[in-house]
Amino acid sequence: MPARIRLAHPERCIGCMNCIFACSRELYGGAISLSKSALKISYDTPSRKFIVSICPGCVDAPCVNACPYKALAEQPGGGPILVNPEKCRSCETRDCINACILAVLFWDDERKTPIICTQCGECAKYCPHEVIVYREV
Amino acid sequence: MEEYLSRILYIDLSSKRSWVEDRSELFEDRIGGLGVAVKLYSEICKLNSDPFDPENPLVFTVGPLNGLYPCISKTVAVFKSPVTGTYGESHAGGRLSMAIRMAGYGAIVILGYSDKLLLIDIEDSKVCFREAKSLQGLSSLEVEERLRTHTRVMESIVSIGLAGERLCFYASANVDRYNYFGRLGLGAILGSKNIKALRIRGSGSIKPKDAESYKKLFEKIYRRIVETDAMAKYHYTGTPANIMVLNEIGALPTRNFRESRFEHAEDISGERVGEFLLERKVSCPLCPIGCMHIAKLRLEFAKGYEYEPIDIYYNYESMYALGTNLGLKKPEDILKLIYTANFYGFDTMLLGNILAWMTEAYESGLISDSDTNGLKLSWGDIDSYIEAVRRIAYGEGSLYVYAAQGLKQLVDIYGGRDYAMQIAGNGIPGYHTGYASILGFLVASRHSHNSNAGYDIDQQALKRKLNDEELIDRIIEEEDWRNILVSLVACMFARRIYSPDVVVDALRTVGFEYNLDDLMDVGRDVYIEIYRIKSIEGFDPRKIYIPKRLFETPSASGILSEERFRKLLDMYMERRFKSSSI
Repeated sequence: MPARIRLAHPERCIGCMNCIFACSRELYGGAISLSKSALKISYDTPSRKFIVSICPGCVDAPCVNACPYKALAEQPGGGPILVNPEKCRSCETRDCINACILAVLFWDDERKTPIICTQCGECAKYCPHEVIVYREV
Repeated sequence: MEEYLSRILYIDLSSKRSWVEDRSELFEDRIGGLGVAVKLYSEICKLNSDPFDPENPLVFTVGPLNGLYPCISKTVAVFKSPVTGTYGESHAGGRLSMAIRMAGYGAIVILGYSDKLLLIDIEDSKVCFREAKSLQGLSSLEVEERLRTHTRVMESIVSIGLAGERLCFYASANVDRYNYFGRLGLGAILGSKNIKALRIRGSGSIKPKDAESYKKLFEKIYRRIVETDAMAKYHYTGTPANIMVLNEIGALPTRNFRESRFEHAEDISGERVGEFLLERKVSCPLCPIGCMHIAKLRLEFAKGYEYEPIDIYYNYESMYALGTNLGLKKPEDILKLIYTANFYGFDTMLLGNILAWMTEAYESGLISDSDTNGLKLSWGDIDSYIEAVRRIAYGEGSLYVYAAQGLKQLVDIYGGRDYAMQIAGNGIPGYHTGYASILGFLVASRHSHNSNAGYDIDQQALKRKLNDEELIDRIIEEEDWRNILVSLVACMFARRIYSPDVVVDALRTVGFEYNLDDLMDVGRDVYIEIYRIKSIEGFDPRKIYIPKRLFETPSASGILSEERFRKLLDMYMERRFKSSSI
């Protein structure tokens, strides 16, 4: 089985965002960015906690199923892969984004495609407390 | 150089205008951070003016490594300090440096003054001046909760509490809840310009010049941070580890520096708080350490198990100033007092020195019940300290009004200067280690123990004796090098990671070609330039009074002699300025 990222110990997050920036470095040629990454950390004020959201790489992925143009396909082991970015460019409904109930599929306004988690594991590699781990599932 | 770093955002509060100027030459000469801030400040500041003169600028800067490397997460602020009456500088962590860079700037310069209380709302290239009546009187902790939005942009909130609004000279400014521009009164400067808060949101990306060598170096630095013990202290116990270390060697100021050991040190130690009260650790962006130690307490507000949960960021400096130095022996009491100080927005350190002076002055009869309005200050009495802080914040009674203006002001009115623990106006930090600590603090350009680490040099000298020349040269070299680190802008906790060769390599990945000698020249030039501003405004370290108490209470290096101290100071002046015209 291919390896997948998983939230192992979400309570341990210290908010360093190294996962996010490892992702943007990998997907966007060394750039450090919050919006150009495939995961997010929100800061929940009532509980004063960091909430980490990652793409779990669903098998029978709702985002893939939702695309009316078949621009997305499923990776081996689950989760989306972009097979036809040209088709995304004319899409106005962004059904893939809406289909993700975890709200962890994001849109890149410049490339005009969704930002796809490739399940590469870079985020886990830079997590100091095993909040995110990379393992075979 | 990264394309946005050299963009300076100017904000004029008087005309409600903002504009951007490109100053790449400044960054080429002076790297960024402190180096650039000093230049921007000196271009505009009005020499010999009142610190609250609206024409004085407030400068925030970041550097070329901010937002790219771990633990390079600080922002530098330069302003005229109401505490010292001259050049002032303070540094803060949190998300601010990254938000400024992602918004597309290397510096923000605030000019003039607003007639209404404002929120300055910066979102990338958009700057809005928004009336902030609804935030008036709120603590920074409340402001942070009200203004925080949950978006995928880097957001940072800088705000002041009541102390800043009321122009208490040593008001702090809070950054993202757990970080502070603590020292020298930046909060008062924001208050004087009628700024309650700044919210900075950046949606851009930060790109290194050479992505491949950047990724390689990032990996190397990151692994060194998490896999060696270079930063272990800051991760595990945090700076409160100092309590036991300093107590052991007899350098822990206790009850207004009357003693150098605290009989309850173990009860309030970082280890004890870590075991029983620490809830979690929080980090700045890109830093895997999580040095911000957050304790959780509950405050009872009514009978029937009614509690208000509070979270408190604690560190050594606050625990000394609002703990050992006031004889507080329960960690919960110290944390409550830190919380109170942060709720109103004071520099915890100078506030602690002031409360300690007030206690001693009251105990010795220098000030009476009529001065304190009936408040009976005594060592270890948490309730009277919390009440005193509240009265200072609200300015209730003349003693408290003067106390809001600092220790120098109190001494001018009431006397008691031999035990008023301030140097050049700023509160003395918690290290009675020896000569280098006092000398370093006096000559430091921002009067901070972090400027040149004199306290650390003393501790090294306990292990291996240093002669006078060595001691002085270490202070000089350390301050020059640290001026470089705060031009990047690095966190001092990472100083063992960012050795000169690592800094030279890291700068190369962002397009800055410097060798070590160039860097040291910049560090020295920055020191001399600040000294020049201060000396025009009347600062001369040889004329500064050093509280007698420091020469009476044994330090870790034994009893210190004032005569020897003065000799060391003369020697410092000679060696520091031998090749310059001051």
